[in-house]
Amino acid sequence: MPSQPALPPLLAPYLSSLPHTSLTLVSSILGATSNWLVLRFLHAALSTSSNQHAASELEDVRTDEKRKVVFVSFMRSFEFWKSEAKRLGLDLARLADKEQFAFIDGLSDLFYTPQVSSSSASAASPAGRGNSTPRTTLPLRSQPGPLPGRSLQSPAIASGGSGLAPRSQTELGVAKKLHFSGRGTAALDALESDIVSVMQQLKPSAEDGDELLLIVDQPDLLLATTGPSLGIGATEMAEWVAGLQQHAHATILTMAADSPLIHNVSVSRAGGHMPAPIETEHAGFAIGLAHRARSVMQLRTLETGVARDVSGVLRISAGGGWIAGKDENPEKEVLYYIQRDGGVRVFGRGES
Amino acid sequence: MSFRKRNIGLSLGVDRAAIPTASEKPAPESPGIRPSPDDGRPTTSTGTPSLDGLLAGHAGLPMGKTLLVEENGTTDFAGALLRYYAAEGVVQEHKVHVVGVPEQWGRSLPGLIGTAESVEGKRSDKRKDERMKIAWRYERLGEFGAGVAGSRNVPAAGNQDPAAPQAPAFCHAFDLTKRLAHPSITNMSFVPLAPSKESPFISVLNRLQTEIASSASHTIHRIVIPSLLNPTMYPPDTCQPEHLLQFLHSLKALMNAYTTRVTTMITLPLALFPRSSGLVRWMELLSDGVIELCPFPHSADALTTSGAATSQEEPPQGMLKVHRLPVLHERGGGSDQNLGQDWAFILSRRRFEIKPFSLPPAEGDTEAQDASAPSGMPKKSDLEF
Repeated sequence: MPSQPALPPLLAPYLSSLPHTSLTLVSSILGATSNWLVLRFLHAALSTSSNQHAASELEDVRTDEKRKVVFVSFMRSFEFWKSEAKRLGLDLARLADKEQFAFIDGLSDLFYTPQVSSSSASAASPAGRGNSTPRTTLPLRSQPGPLPGRSLQSPAIASGGSGLAPRSQTELGVAKKLHFSGRGTAALDALESDIVSVMQQLKPSAEDGDELLLIVDQPDLLLATTGPSLGIGATEMAEWVAGLQQHAHATILTMAADSPLIHNVSVSRAGGHMPAPIETEHAGFAIGLAHRARSVMQLRTLETGVARDVSGVLRISAGGGWIAGKDENPEKEVLYYIQRDGGVRVFGRGES
Repeated sequence: MSFRKRNIGLSLGVDRAAIPTASEKPAPESPGIRPSPDDGRPTTSTGTPSLDGLLAGHAGLPMGKTLLVEENGTTDFAGALLRYYAAEGVVQEHKVHVVGVPEQWGRSLPGLIGTAESVEGKRSDKRKDERMKIAWRYERLGEFGAGVAGSRNVPAAGNQDPAAPQAPAFCHAFDLTKRLAHPSITNMSFVPLAPSKESPFISVLNRLQTEIASSASHTIHRIVIPSLLNPTMYPPDTCQPEHLLQFLHSLKALMNAYTTRVTTMITLPLALFPRSSGLVRWMELLSDGVIELCPFPHSADALTTSGAATSQEEPPQGMLKVHRLPVLHERGGGSDQNLGQDWAFILSRRRFEIKPFSLPPAEGDTEAQDASAPSGMPKKSDLEF
């Protein structure tokens, strides 16, 4: 099969022209994850060379102006996003260096900060702000093996140089690690100010016309893992998202929309047993966001079973924030297929 | 076209192998680790050859990934899978961490018979003589009905030819009626749940974190969590989403920090926590691979005996559903050749086998078959007008 363009032509207009203050909601389910679509959004925003031909089909070619992206991921590490973006020809670490991209890690230290043993605590604390401690202990312990054969000054170089070199490579581009502490809106506010501070760091270097795109990958995890017993519900989360939205040109959110998380509320009401708080809050959050979103992109698997050449269905529909007449992209439902090399083919039903 | 869509690892392993192997090549001395024939990332065996073959062409569980095995009903087939996984870890001298159960659990691991290849080899030798030659050019695609095994043998033969003779075994075969006696079995660590004011999982995380961080950098770890949330072992407040999901999220973070050294397998009884609940769905979303076992009820003996295609085959004991596969679904999913299949599983004394499920022709319904055969292929005269 021929290799696919990084941006499928059918999707390119939906991915690259996001109006000011718009919210795009991407919903996924267990068998149809949204990571590939998030990568396409990243590519549309950050790539300058390869998507020119795709973007030139649009009336306004905006690739000359620089876009910046702040990407918050609660489910995957930077390692994953970096290696997957590389398949699309996007070097996230380099873009982070150029201050076009910032990754905020909501996975590593969100709930549990590894306790540091007393010996490595002294070594780790000057190493830097917010870094995960386990990685510092590893190179330090494995280093002494090859060292004794070398000259006397080499231990200092090795522990300072090669001990940090692999670290700085993996940590490169991670602007901040989020940590959840406390409860209720205070805890959310702390997370919000962390994210906003990273967004502000990118902004001053932005010339006029630069657009700051905010992508939050699965903020619903935050809701599921806290819940009403920690004073966080759908309303608080929706406010949290609104607070972040103010600082961005456009916002993209991904969230799970599996049927137990959305439909249990209405089904159980009829059936007579109470839906769990995790279900009601999730449904409230997701539906509320869909009403605010300009467009909703739903990913799901085929209803008719599994096909060898179809990974799933992508439905693009107008959300509650859709402005009729102003937005020209029509609603659409397409099939997509993720090839084993990471390329994506997007096609209509009946086409191939 | 039809040939290309087969997704045989043989032709695919070459072009893309370059990218991941450069960055995440496993330490060569680690036993029980081999590169995936699909993209070269390090994988380890689950201890069940046919389960390895199911995992999206990687022929093993990729390092840094979590496999959630759910089970309906009151049987413990998932426990058998978990014991194979733990026993494989012991035999490969990995560090096995068992969460939430007392040390007796470790004494019930199945005994070692040999490598999976040697046991499998004996079986296929026996079968070779009676095999019917239908089309010799499909022969190397693997035995029909052993489609799972086929998908892992072909790439293995292609990639590892030079090292094959002295390559250490990747997967072993175990006997459930024997008890594992291996020098490194005492090396297993049992992590108890400690009741605390906050989440009871905090102490588990602390212990896992320190043990992994303090081990040598080439030690491979396996985290085994038998029947998570089982009320006989887990206090009631572990079912709170904020405790359980925070634990799973932190576990995911821990595995991402040591992405080439840790794998996890979790079993979950679905009888108390159905898949239709939001909590279980979040547990699934936080796992990299999700499979569900649906054992046939006992009263379905009639069905199970006829479920075997021939009288020599053992009848399947249940269905296996694949909901999510590691790596494949992380990328977007859905294109694996094994995904749409109906799988059946058979647990016998010596192995847990997963194979395609097929209903046999209805027995004693020969007239219907005879009648349907000619109508399926219309005669030439019927087609001419």
